[in-house]
Amino acid sequence: MPRIELVDVVKQYDAGEQPALRGVSLTIEDGETLSVVGPSGCGKSTLLKIIAGLEYPESGRVLYDGQDFTEITPQDRGVGFVFQDYALYPTRRGRGNLSYFFETHGRDEAERDARVRATAELMGMDFELLLGQMPDTLSGGQKQRVAIARCIVRDPHVFLMDEPIVNLDAKLRERTRVEIKKLLRQFAITTVYVTHDQQEAIFMGDRIAVMRAGQIEQVGTFDDLYYSPANLFVATFIGAPPICVLPATVAGGEVRLDEARWPLPPDLAAELPEGPLRLGVRPEGWELGAPDGAPLEVRNVEHIPTERASFVHGRLAGVSATVIAPLEYQARERTLVRPVWEQALFFAAEDERTLRAPGAPELF
Amino acid sequence: MSIRVSNLTKRFDTRLAVDDVSFALGEGEFLAVVGPSGCGKTTTLRLVAGLEQATSGEVYFGDRPVTRVRPRDRNVAMVFQDYAVFPHLTVFENIAYGLRSRGAPRSVIQERVPAAAKMFRIDHLLRRKPRQLSGGERQRVALARAMVRDADVYLFDEPLSNLDAQLRHQAREDIQALHREKRRPSIYVTHDQTEAMALGDRIAVMRNGRIEQIGTGAELYERPANQFVAFFIGTPSINLFDVTLRAEGDALLAEGPALTVHLPPELRERAAGHVGRAVRLGVRPEDLHVPRQAPFPVGPENTIHGVVNVIEPSATGCAVYLSTVDARPQDFTATFKLRLPASYLGREIPLAINLRKAHLFDAETERAL
Repeated sequence: MPRIELVDVVKQYDAGEQPALRGVSLTIEDGETLSVVGPSGCGKSTLLKIIAGLEYPESGRVLYDGQDFTEITPQDRGVGFVFQDYALYPTRRGRGNLSYFFETHGRDEAERDARVRATAELMGMDFELLLGQMPDTLSGGQKQRVAIARCIVRDPHVFLMDEPIVNLDAKLRERTRVEIKKLLRQFAITTVYVTHDQQEAIFMGDRIAVMRAGQIEQVGTFDDLYYSPANLFVATFIGAPPICVLPATVAGGEVRLDEARWPLPPDLAAELPEGPLRLGVRPEGWELGAPDGAPLEVRNVEHIPTERASFVHGRLAGVSATVIAPLEYQARERTLVRPVWEQALFFAAEDERTLRAPGAPELF
Repeated sequence: MSIRVSNLTKRFDTRLAVDDVSFALGEGEFLAVVGPSGCGKTTTLRLVAGLEQATSGEVYFGDRPVTRVRPRDRNVAMVFQDYAVFPHLTVFENIAYGLRSRGAPRSVIQERVPAAAKMFRIDHLLRRKPRQLSGGERQRVALARAMVRDADVYLFDEPLSNLDAQLRHQAREDIQALHREKRRPSIYVTHDQTEAMALGDRIAVMRNGRIEQIGTGAELYERPANQFVAFFIGTPSINLFDVTLRAEGDALLAEGPALTVHLPPELRERAAGHVGRAVRLGVRPEDLHVPRQAPFPVGPENTIHGVVNVIEPSATGCAVYLSTVDARPQDFTATFKLRLPASYLGREIPLAINLRKAHLFDAETERAL
């Protein structure tokens, strides 16, 4: 399976508009699944189309195993594409959907039947049943399995998936994503998986690329993105409930907010520049009821038994903050909070780059 | 005022969309209705709003039967999934629409619209048209429109499902703020069970047009009435293992292809009538532990083996997706407060089951024992 490289890829649909991709460089290793995540309009689907050859870049190169594929047609790249709307042939049964490629490419029947049979076996139990059914009699999850099998049967070298399970409801999505991931592991096909859902990106990807406005902000594992984000955008995008970001000033060994000041541990104070910056605190990064804390005006508390936790939502120095608390936490109008300094993040006030991040803890 | 729905049924041609549904909502109570696509939750909401005609049954607002009352005379405010903002009207006029159409005086409109817009942080957008707004802003216009009304009942039809994760948390708070302000009975339809937990005083779980169970989040999670509710509430879902119960001396064994375990006293009592019969053992992912970390003694009598397929990292540890080790491998899930290293992928590991927290379901009726 190929290793895919993008070198400085620029894609502009309309002259005068912002480019959809603004100089993207990226490597997807052989057999790796890379998730691409970002808000709508960030360029993630365009990135996928460039890799597939469905769009050509204005400048930059696409390499498959070091070979320049920039101008190669999709048919010759050996890519399999799975779309969010499944795009099954509606007048063909499951089997017909799988065999279509062989019929239109003049392959012989023996090869076709052997490939369809082998693929059905790989797809696991009960897949045989789907082969005999028309698409409109299948559930969303079943349709997506057929779509994936149709992709696998052609023996692709690269798998490209664009929000493949976004149309399934929550419970079905949970099951289907496990099936997809198991298949990807089994085949070890180089895969790019595009989603707007960070949880899905974390689940599917060996690594995750976070995009914004046509650029890649960071590529890394969950631990990289969560504990060592490259900048404020990545820190805000990854993690739910989101990180609380407080405008603050460091001076005299303290962090100062509008209505509070917290003394910093000496080693941390030495590490941070004096002056304005932004302090980022994740929901689990607060000490609740700290005697030397700042006042959190509690707006509401959500008790979530399935998470075995409560979420305390409030305002701190004029900024929304969410604090994770034990399930049985009793709401008060006001409580004192302080960041757990080992877990705190600091960002530059002017350009939002990370000044200090905790790095992945030795949890475990 | 309260809402009462009694034996409500809605038939579309041959399909029974809502099947004999009854529930009551107290003054100021917030009921979340969850269920998979097609379970009848949205139709139930539309019956309460009057947007659908009931085939049979009654809806009461207080003591007043409203089943045959037109929607606009029910005094209901509704927030839709697609926001239903008018594209040709400004944000101001969109928010004011419900007031104007009910003939509210100008002074009231001039006072309330900016106040509601401010509450949902769209007061700087009042002159814009919807197409100039983001999804999150449009959604807040819909909330502000509900906010300016003095409706007797507030209804929400998946209002957050088009927002991404970051915006959804904030929007949830906005809905809570609206409800705190109004204190009117509210029904909130969603397919997201976490959202239901966060918002609902109580939650109704629907399937095939029927309410399977109605209760607080904790009740549904800890004492599900049946296998469907157990499965629907909780992410990742509860693991369900087919077992047969067999008595051996004082012990009661649950034996299946994937595991053989000894039931603890709590479960023995409930299972007493089912000895020799097929039941399903339900184990929540959080009740599976790495043996050395289990907060209880571990032995063969409470252990299951699984092959690790996926390790999903999280800020609190990880979720591990496994397959059972038997002729027909079955997927199951465990969540740990530790991080399993990637070297465990593809390996078989033992897991300790906290059986005191396990559930048992009749294999035929799927009812909880």
